[in-house]
Amino acid sequence: MRILLAEDDPNIATVTQLCLEKIGGHEVVVRHDGEAAFDTASREPFDLIILDGMMPKKNGLQVAIELQASGVVGTPIIFLSAKTEESDIEEFLKVGSGYIAKPFDPQTICDQIDKILGKDGSGS
Amino acid sequence: MKSVRLKVHLVLFGTLAGVLAFGYRSYELKNEFVRHQSAMNKSLEIQSTALTLSQLSNAARLPQSEFDKLREWQREVTSPERKDALSSLTYAVSRNKKVDIQRTSLEVAKVENQYFNKTKAQSEELLSQIERSIALSLGCGILGLLIVGYIVRARVFRPLDRLSRRMKDFLVDRYSFQFSHPDASELGELQRTFNSLAQRVINSMDELKELNQTKSEFLNIASHELRTPLTSIKGSLNLIASGVMGELNPACSRLVKIAETETDRLIRLINDLLDLAKIETGKLPLARTWHSWDAVVAKTVEGLLGLAHETEVRIKADPIPGLEVFVDHDRLQQILTNLISNALKFSPKGGWVHVTAEITDYGPLLVKVIDQGPGIAPEDCDKVFQRFRQGNAPQPQNALLKGTGLGLPIAKALVNEHGGEIGVESELGKGSIFWFTLPQWRDEESSSEDRKPNSERVA
Repeated sequence: MRILLAEDDPNIATVTQLCLEKIGGHEVVVRHDGEAAFDTASREPFDLIILDGMMPKKNGLQVAIELQASGVVGTPIIFLSAKTEESDIEEFLKVGSGYIAKPFDPQTICDQIDKILGKDGSGS
Repeated sequence: MKSVRLKVHLVLFGTLAGVLAFGYRSYELKNEFVRHQSAMNKSLEIQSTALTLSQLSNAARLPQSEFDKLREWQREVTSPERKDALSSLTYAVSRNKKVDIQRTSLEVAKVENQYFNKTKAQSEELLSQIERSIALSLGCGILGLLIVGYIVRARVFRPLDRLSRRMKDFLVDRYSFQFSHPDASELGELQRTFNSLAQRVINSMDELKELNQTKSEFLNIASHELRTPLTSIKGSLNLIASGVMGELNPACSRLVKIAETETDRLIRLINDLLDLAKIETGKLPLARTWHSWDAVVAKTVEGLLGLAHETEVRIKADPIPGLEVFVDHDRLQQILTNLISNALKFSPKGGWVHVTAEITDYGPLLVKVIDQGPGIAPEDCDKVFQRFRQGNAPQPQNALLKGTGLGLPIAKALVNEHGGEIGVESELGKGSIFWFTLPQWRDEESSSEDRKPNSERVA
């Protein structure tokens, strides 16, 4: 599965990329800010987009809303965030297909991705 | 006039002066009246003597004492008319002329009669004056008392009522206070004092609110900033430990395991701190609905089976079919989890933890988590609900079992949010009973009203 990962913290990006590649066996493209993520997602096809909630230039929510507005509607979007306010989580779930709280462990993130995509019906 | 006290004193003084003045006047008039009465009596006496004399045939038979009386009266009377008449009579009597005596005595009787009638009229006038004086004196007193009563009512009791109403308002709603125009009297002083007190309370409340706000913002930021590096640490350690990055030698594996466990503990601590901060700043609204008691307990116990296995302690829970509680499901589960996991950690291997719920006589549902742990010294019983105060009991050696020191404070805060109370009964060496109450419950199986005295049905 081809995954676009947008995460501004390079350490988290590396760890998450390794998790997805080594445990989930996915192909991962990493971008470090919202604008770059938006550009890549508009040009290339992905099976899944994972967006950090807080990023420079454009935050995750903005990227998701703009992608959906520009016609990238088929690709499920999952948010990663350290925010735990109920209102934030609600916002994420309104726009995306799922939400994964930081910190997560590698097995959990892969399981959760499978679960969210399975539920979404487009996980193949 | 500024002061109520001065006003009241002035009115009271005026009243007293009025009452005394009119009272004294009445007293004087009475004396005058008494003098008039005795003058009238004397006049009557003179008249009767004169009439007696006018009928006497022989004046020589007049006793000396009567004659002396005549002379005395002649000296005493003041009006010239009466004096003349009396002196003519005395002269006639001393001359013993019958005709003269008859004539002068009739003259005396006539003059005295006139005098009597005049005095009588005067004394009647005096009587009505006395009545008026007494009435005025009484009126003065009553009027003064009425005025004082009015002043006290309008300037003391009414402002006092208002003040006490304001104070009650202030207790209920902290911002409706203030006397915008304090009275100019002593009560105004009280109102001003109340105003500044209220202002001070409001100021400190605002300060507290601000402080609380700062605290919760700080905690939010801090927890976010802490979570970000922990995400990398945890992810890296998990990846290494899972072996996908290559095999580790046993010593490395052990070290990585320790790092993993402690990272998890750190994450739990941050989550607990944030939870507590949310509850304390009122940012954790409860989503309350009716839930089956047994279902909540079963789900909680299920989540704790791993820990129970680890500690080799069994969990016993008595089912109460039909019992429902009005709670936030996840939060009740959190309360129970914190209490039961605490009990599991401190119970000896092979022991048990007992969860019971009973309906109390006084209303709420009483939940107990009974353990066979080392117990808590009486002086530590209150402390266990404070943050990072885990009493003096020895902590479990297994790092997995180490608590964050926030489990019980969170349970307490959540129970309080539900309107219940929490506490512990314990004795060293005899285990502990952690209990809490839930005010809203109902029994679906029993329809009789008396078994659910406090079950509030929410519309």
